[in-house]
Amino acid sequence: MNEFEIDKRQVRRSFSRAAQQYDAAAVLQREVCSRMLERLDYIKRQPARILDAGSGTGWGARQLEQRYPAAQVVALDIALGMLQAGRDQSGWWRKLFAGGRQSSLCADVEALPLAANSVELIWSNLTVQWCNDLPATFVEMHRVLKTEGLLMFSTFGPDTLKELRAAFHDADGYNHINRFADMHDIGDMLVAAGFAEPVMDMEYITLTYDDVKAAMQDLRRIGAHNATAGRAQGMMGKGTWNKVVENYERMRRDGKLPATFEIIYGHAWKPQPKKIADGRAIIQTPFKL
Amino acid sequence: MDAKLLEILVCPLCKSPLIYHKAEQELICKADRLAFKIQDDIPVMLADEARTLTAEEAEKL
Repeated sequence: MNEFEIDKRQVRRSFSRAAQQYDAAAVLQREVCSRMLERLDYIKRQPARILDAGSGTGWGARQLEQRYPAAQVVALDIALGMLQAGRDQSGWWRKLFAGGRQSSLCADVEALPLAANSVELIWSNLTVQWCNDLPATFVEMHRVLKTEGLLMFSTFGPDTLKELRAAFHDADGYNHINRFADMHDIGDMLVAAGFAEPVMDMEYITLTYDDVKAAMQDLRRIGAHNATAGRAQGMMGKGTWNKVVENYERMRRDGKLPATFEIIYGHAWKPQPKKIADGRAIIQTPFKL
Repeated sequence: MDAKLLEILVCPLCKSPLIYHKAEQELICKADRLAFKIQDDIPVMLADEARTLTAEEAEKL
């Protein structure tokens, strides 16, 4: 395992632990989700089956259900605790009247347990940053999508938590923040996976905190603190922590500490195949041959 | 267990169809000899959480 490789067991544990307080802290996730939903306005197709890859407690999946009342939504998450918490929130009356259109599934986005060509829309909000092999993850999503199906996702870009990263940088030699892929590289990965017309874009969202402790607590609460294999295994020494606080304090603006998130949005289609299984090319002509 | 979901579920490793054991609440992949458990109606399709089938069980399939 290289030092930046994400330890999936750690991700599972930290998100399952975070499940109970997650919705209070996950303001960022919701904000990004709403912005993604706005982007869906331009897409006129009505999907029959939707996969929410990395559904958390299912807030996004419920929004998708409302938008596409005829669709079956599969809420997939690696942390069973998240799915169970989502189920508790939905209430018995919903289970009765919504007719069980939402199905929960505990699985890894990198190894989808779904048949090929089984969904029309894959929705993934702030999840693929947890993948160790992003190109392979896109290949998986491409496999599961139907032809002319849509993948729509958001993830963190490399500038995410740059303040915290800088504060830790001279304090000790460990990684405290996961590394994130660049928007252009993600676009290339989509094309390599067989997707067509990828559209990528990004924006910065800055949250502000009163102190470093509150910032760290929030990250821990959304389960997004460091899960890479190169993280320090023990407790952080008091001296190191004081150094981090001192470094971060230097970035205080207007009485608040900033925490920047670089949000990358992307969507792409699964095009009609250009080759058949044995490798022969399909060429379409406007006239009859 | 959700019938609509069961329709599209496959093994996360080899992508082959699964056998549903209702009494045990397990989904079996014959090729990989793995049993994925269904907990509170939620299938847990993670290879490192799955139970490896005993030789006897695999024989019976």
